[in-house]
Amino acid sequence: MSSRFEAFLNVSVELTAFSRFDLLGTGLAERYLATLDKMVGGETTDALLAAFAALPPPEDVARIQAVRTTILGNELLGDVTRALIKLWYSGTWFELPSAWTERFGRRTAGATFVVSPDAYIEGLLWKAIGAHPAGAKGPGFGSWAFPPKIPDLPDLDSKT
Amino acid sequence: MYSYSIRTLDELKEFLYQAMRLEHATIPPYLTALYSIKPGVNQDATQVLRVIVVEEMLHLTIAANILNAIGGTPDLTRPDFAVDYPASLPDGETDFKVGIQAFGREALATFLKIERPAQRPIHLVGKGLIHRKTSPHTTALGNDPRHEDLHFYSIGEFYSTIAEGIKYLEAEAHRVGTTIFTGDRSRQITSEYYYSGGGELFAVTDLKSALEATELIIEQGEGDGGGIYDDNEHELAHYYRFDELVKGRYYQKGDQPGHPTGPQLQVDWEGAYPIKANLKVVDIDIKKDPELREAATAFNTRYGEFLQLLTRAYNGQPTLLLEAVPIMFEFRNMILELIRNPLTNHPGKNGCPTYEIPGSTKQAAVTRQAEVRA
Repeated sequence: MSSRFEAFLNVSVELTAFSRFDLLGTGLAERYLATLDKMVGGETTDALLAAFAALPPPEDVARIQAVRTTILGNELLGDVTRALIKLWYSGTWFELPSAWTERFGRRTAGATFVVSPDAYIEGLLWKAIGAHPAGAKGPGFGSWAFPPKIPDLPDLDSKT
Repeated sequence: MYSYSIRTLDELKEFLYQAMRLEHATIPPYLTALYSIKPGVNQDATQVLRVIVVEEMLHLTIAANILNAIGGTPDLTRPDFAVDYPASLPDGETDFKVGIQAFGREALATFLKIERPAQRPIHLVGKGLIHRKTSPHTTALGNDPRHEDLHFYSIGEFYSTIAEGIKYLEAEAHRVGTTIFTGDRSRQITSEYYYSGGGELFAVTDLKSALEATELIIEQGEGDGGGIYDDNEHELAHYYRFDELVKGRYYQKGDQPGHPTGPQLQVDWEGAYPIKANLKVVDIDIKKDPELREAATAFNTRYGEFLQLLTRAYNGQPTLLLEAVPIMFEFRNMILELIRNPLTNHPGKNGCPTYEIPGSTKQAAVTRQAEVRA
């Protein structure tokens, strides 16, 4: 595994609040990094990874504040980061706002698209709400007779 | 010469327990290979494996029905029930290992051996069981439960011995005005409890239904008397379904074994995740892959609960089988995640379920590592 991919995974863990195991378990991590590179360019992706690397250490209470100010509040990185979170949760790349493309340039045809059929199926949103994607990963005949399985909340602490 | 015929009811019960164990032992290898296939490829192989794994579940339940019919007690929680992979299965005069591995040529070669037609070559007809010493560290299946070193020529032969035993014991019982079919009818699993289960599930209550049950298992696996179809010509036997994948061609009516002439089919031999064969929980680095290790352990725990549930279902609570359905779909999701996660200590290899069931004696104790979660 390349260190760039490792960095992308670490950033994704922090942004989605899902574990590394969960993210790799979607089978889509490499394709999402490639999608990000394609849609915003490798340099912007690298800038995002570098911004995370420059944050205060994870145990520092200042870190969560810094994510807000230097990443989510950053003109270049904020919209990209939000698009990445949505990508992980829905399997869909959402077109960046026009203000972003006007300022930083349109790299590719600005479009909203589902990355692949399995990206829809593996969207983290389904796991987060304890449901299965409509039309896929069915929970089995008669399963509706049993109470839903609500997943445990991730271990969020007071920093958030 | 040692007679391997079944002569007492207790022996028949033990043979049927071993039959359940054997049927179950084929499920993890098929299931893992099925879920190792990457999305979007190998649709033919996916379909074949799915049908076969569901039929193996049917066979497990049929064996439980026969055991229940003669007043036995199916127990999937016995310490030796779940096998330690790779396990040894009979392959004529030698044996072979069946293990947990990704879909591919090697897996298919193994699957063909599991389902291989039963007939002995001429020079072995009437020669008795095959003598073979299995390493004490390997689980051996398809042997005579009374003699660990004596193996049946094939799974089909193992079942034929059961069928002969049933006939013999029922005839003996008849002579004194009784029957071996004394089991509680309410313990029988029928299709109403068994959704879309790969065939009709009927109650075993007498000699006729018991022999139909053993026939069904043999025919779905190996074909009817060496033919490629089952007795009603409806369904291709498992062996020939796998053979289609190897040969890249479908069978059609009238074809001879080994020579399919139907439409071609595509198999992408690289279209599976590279899982590490016969992985054990202890092989997963607890420091580098703590979440993967925890997930593998959680799967085993859940699988153990599943076997407990099936045991209760087969012991008078058939409606519990309906609860087993969502658990099996839960397994699919758990297995997919394990298979897509790389193993740090084995570069290029991914994780997989280990099927080390808690409570099984042959497996090393595994401690839960929930507290290691980052």
